[in-house]
Amino acid sequence: MSCRDLWKVFGAHAAKAIESGDVHLGRAELMAKTGCTVAARDVSFDVVRGEVFVVMGLSGSGKSTLVRCLTRLIEPTSGAVSICSRDVLGAQPKELREIRRTKVSMVFQHFGLFPHRTVIDNVAYGLEVQGIDRPTRYARASELLEVVGLSPVKTSYPDQLSGGMQQRVGLARALAVDPEVLIFDEAFSALDPLIRREMQDEVLRLQERLQKTVIFVTHDLDEALKLGDRIAIMKDGRFVQVGTPADIVGAPADDYVREFVRDVPRGKVLTAAYATQPRSGEMPEEVVRHDQHLNELLPVVFGAKGPIGVVDGTGELVGILDRRMVIHVLAGREELSTPEELASPGQP
Amino acid sequence: MSAPPATPVWAAALRLDGRLGGVARRWAPPLALAIPLCLVAAALEGVHSGFPSTWLLGVPRWFDNLNNWVTNNDSSNFFLHTIVGGFGNLLNDATNDIVNLLHWMTWVGVLAVSTAIAWLVGSWRTALFSALVVASFGVLQIPNGGPNGISEMWPSAMTTLALMTVAIILSTIVGIPLGIASAVWPTVHKLLRPLLDLMQILPAFAYLVPIVVLFSIGNPAGIVATFIYAVPPLVRFTELGIRSVRKDVIEAAESFGSTRRQVLRNVQLPLAAQAIMLGLNQVIMMALSIVVIASLIGAGGLGDPVLAALQTQQIGEGFVAGLLIVLMAMWLDRTSAAIGERARERTSTRRLTRRQLLGLWAGLLVLVLVARYGLGLGDWPAGWGFSVVDNATRALNWVTNEFTGIAGPISSFLTLDILNPLQRYLTDLPWWLVAAVVGTIGWARGGSRRGVLLAGCVVLLGLMQAPVGYTFQGTTSYNFVAWNDAMETFSLVIVALALDLIVGIPLGIAAYRWRVMDRVLRPILDTLQTLPAFVYLIPMVALFGVGNVAGVSASLIYALPAAVRATTLGLRAVQRDVLEAGQAFGSTRWQLLFKVELPIARPYLMLAVNQTILLVMAEVVVAGLVGAGGLGLDVVTGFSRSEVGLGAAAGLAMVLMGIVLDRLSQSNPDRARAAAS
Ligand SMILES: Nc1ncnc2c1ncn2[C@@H]1O[C@H](COP(=O)(O)OP(=O)(O)OP(=O)(O)O)[C@@H](O)[C@H]1O
Ligand SMILES: [Mg+2]
Repeated sequence: MSCRDLWKVFGAHAAKAIESGDVHLGRAELMAKTGCTVAARDVSFDVVRGEVFVVMGLSGSGKSTLVRCLTRLIEPTSGAVSICSRDVLGAQPKELREIRRTKVSMVFQHFGLFPHRTVIDNVAYGLEVQGIDRPTRYARASELLEVVGLSPVKTSYPDQLSGGMQQRVGLARALAVDPEVLIFDEAFSALDPLIRREMQDEVLRLQERLQKTVIFVTHDLDEALKLGDRIAIMKDGRFVQVGTPADIVGAPADDYVREFVRDVPRGKVLTAAYATQPRSGEMPEEVVRHDQHLNELLPVVFGAKGPIGVVDGTGELVGILDRRMVIHVLAGREELSTPEELASPGQP
Repeated sequence: MSAPPATPVWAAALRLDGRLGGVARRWAPPLALAIPLCLVAAALEGVHSGFPSTWLLGVPRWFDNLNNWVTNNDSSNFFLHTIVGGFGNLLNDATNDIVNLLHWMTWVGVLAVSTAIAWLVGSWRTALFSALVVASFGVLQIPNGGPNGISEMWPSAMTTLALMTVAIILSTIVGIPLGIASAVWPTVHKLLRPLLDLMQILPAFAYLVPIVVLFSIGNPAGIVATFIYAVPPLVRFTELGIRSVRKDVIEAAESFGSTRRQVLRNVQLPLAAQAIMLGLNQVIMMALSIVVIASLIGAGGLGDPVLAALQTQQIGEGFVAGLLIVLMAMWLDRTSAAIGERARERTSTRRLTRRQLLGLWAGLLVLVLVARYGLGLGDWPAGWGFSVVDNATRALNWVTNEFTGIAGPISSFLTLDILNPLQRYLTDLPWWLVAAVVGTIGWARGGSRRGVLLAGCVVLLGLMQAPVGYTFQGTTSYNFVAWNDAMETFSLVIVALALDLIVGIPLGIAAYRWRVMDRVLRPILDTLQTLPAFVYLIPMVALFGVGNVAGVSASLIYALPAAVRATTLGLRAVQRDVLEAGQAFGSTRWQLLFKVELPIARPYLMLAVNQTILLVMAEVVVAGLVGAGGLGLDVVTGFSRSEVGLGAAAGLAMVLMGIVLDRLSQSNPDRARAAAS
């Protein structure tokens, strides 16, 4: 799945605003001058199979608009989107429907379940609009209800279920058509923290098995760090930083991101690589892997007498773990976590 | 201090506030003074002008000509013959087929089938009620020599049932698609909305004559009038139901690649089903409420005896037929409400399996066949019933006698001291003064466009009149001064409205403050609100005789529930924390009422005024049937003497008057409606 130079400008004179370059004005100014709002600003990204790509940002930053542009639930102003190497924005209505029916599914913040249909009919909906016969779609829907653990409530109606169960229905409904791409729009925001964590685990579990291309929108940093292989931080319609959780926490691109990640338990996200002084030579007695989280290394760091070596995946020594740096990194001290110093912390 | 100046009292009275521009604010104080001054001066000076009799558009002649043309070309013109005539025949045939079917089924069949349907869609209680109502069609009888020589009510009831069925089916096939179209295409919505708005403020009387010109007197005309009157709520409910489906649910459906059709069929329509059923329920109630008016243009059935009774003051007969109409309304209402209830509960608690259902229908068919051919049954046996007329007449006579002592003085006081002087005063007001006052208030309410529009309506209304000494082709001649008749109608409206507000608002406040009061009022209001308009005429004619007083008092009662309800609703809408804030400052109960609750409820009170005015006007016009004067009487006269131009022009005048009264009493329709919902 890839998205190139995507723009979405709301307002009657959207095209004109882009042409004249007015879109580069500030939000309020643009509004005053043209009556337009920019919800997605020149966004480009790729997501590969098996990857969870998290889009995160404050309310109103344009996350929902962006993911809706991907399947043209909202018509983008300009750009290019391809899903399974098919051009979405150029697709005719029929082809677009075909893509929506078989390639992409969405899970919605307020579930978007059909209140007049039973659970199983909700799950089978995507297959129904494809014209698949009833026994087949029921069989498939039952299978997925099994997967999300809702078999007993097959014939209930959505409003007879708890929020968590409802979103499981939403999840099963999205999976029923066996899409290549799964889009979650703040899918768990309406759930309470416990259920939410349960659902996140469920997604991780399923992802391990199914290896979909997942785009996950959230405004919750913990959720982003937990689920994301990569995270895009969005502000005013623009991606201000895209990177792994560790990149985002360890090397925030600007103050906006820094503010975002300030209260993150850094030891849980950052790895040994962030506190490694490049060094080659002979292997010290104590060794840790470069991708181990600092939190789990603390006993080693303070227990070991001699120097601690850091090795990469192949067992090659990449450097020495710097105890002072560990403390600085964990404390989030600025001077040691400037982008230059940490630009490519993993490499010696 | 830079606080904005508080709204002055006069501005509050005229409901002028911040929404109006500076111009309005500057000119409002002198105008607010000028209007009453002018009106008082007009009264003192005794300006006798009214509307100039030579100013006219010749509207009555247009309609007389049109009618003439239609009569002459009925068989040759394609549109008239094939389309209108064909449609009329279709309606007529459908009605006759259903009537014949109902007779063929015999009374046993009708009773059994209606009870079975009621049981299937509702509970055994619905079924029992249904059976009782159907039986009452046979049991309650009028002795021979009743109006139109009708003795048993069963055939009339079957005719009315058939007419209702056809009208309801017609409304369904037109109303639901229109509602869908209006929800799907904004253009259709934009075109339909003003039309529906207009239809809802129009009394049915306004379009009777044009219908008769096209379809001539008879069942088709009655069905078409019923359809026009009853269909707007179905269109609205359907559209509303579809539109109020949650956006995210629709989006979810789209995200799975549903076509627009699939979204409509799979998601929007099923979710709108309940609203559509509510709309259908409304259709039924409204259709039954104009049975009597439909009889005026030739639809047969139960309306006939009521109409005859109202016009001949044979109240007893009218009472029985009226009672049957009300019972039929309750029966159909409950049955259709039960279907709606089913739709809501959704857990498809079907009573029978498909096989059982088939069995039931087969059983019913056998029953009908046996009754028809085995037992040779037919309509309800004449001997199985009793005449309630004597009893009804006796009861009504008793009431009349008991109350003549009070009714007489009330009647003469209302007539001599209030209605007549008011009517004289209004009629004599110079037309330009009325136009100016209406225009100014309209402008204060809704801006300059509304002001100009309403003043224009006033002038146009005056122009509807016929020239002095008007005759048409030597056969027709009548005197129609639209201005005077509109003012007479208006005087009746004013009196009924004033009484309604004087009684209704305090009752509404009482129902809000005292739970006992609420509990006493609720069932009464519920009943009053479901009764068709004509019902109120029957006792009032018995009490006051035909004329204006009967019209005013019937209108008063007809519209009272709306005034009470809107007041109570408005007060209830005041939020709890606001009340608590008021109490926290140590307000007394009455201070709270006058300083917090009533001011906050003001949009609802305005809505109460608006609704009451429209209901009062509708009933005042219908009261033309019992000789209440003004435009309603013109329409009735137009029918009884076949003076088409008169009836049609009076109908148009009603349209104009309805628009003026509605727009004057509505400050900001969307806001008020939002407040009401
Ligand atoms: N239909 C619309 N017309 C005009 N502006 C819109 C429309 N939809 C969204 N916007 C604007 O686009 C911007 C992005 O909105 P969007 O809903 O994508 O934000 P979001 O990041 O999903 O926020 P949230 O976390 O609250 O869901 C907002 O400023 C919003 O006001
Ligand atoms: Mg959003």
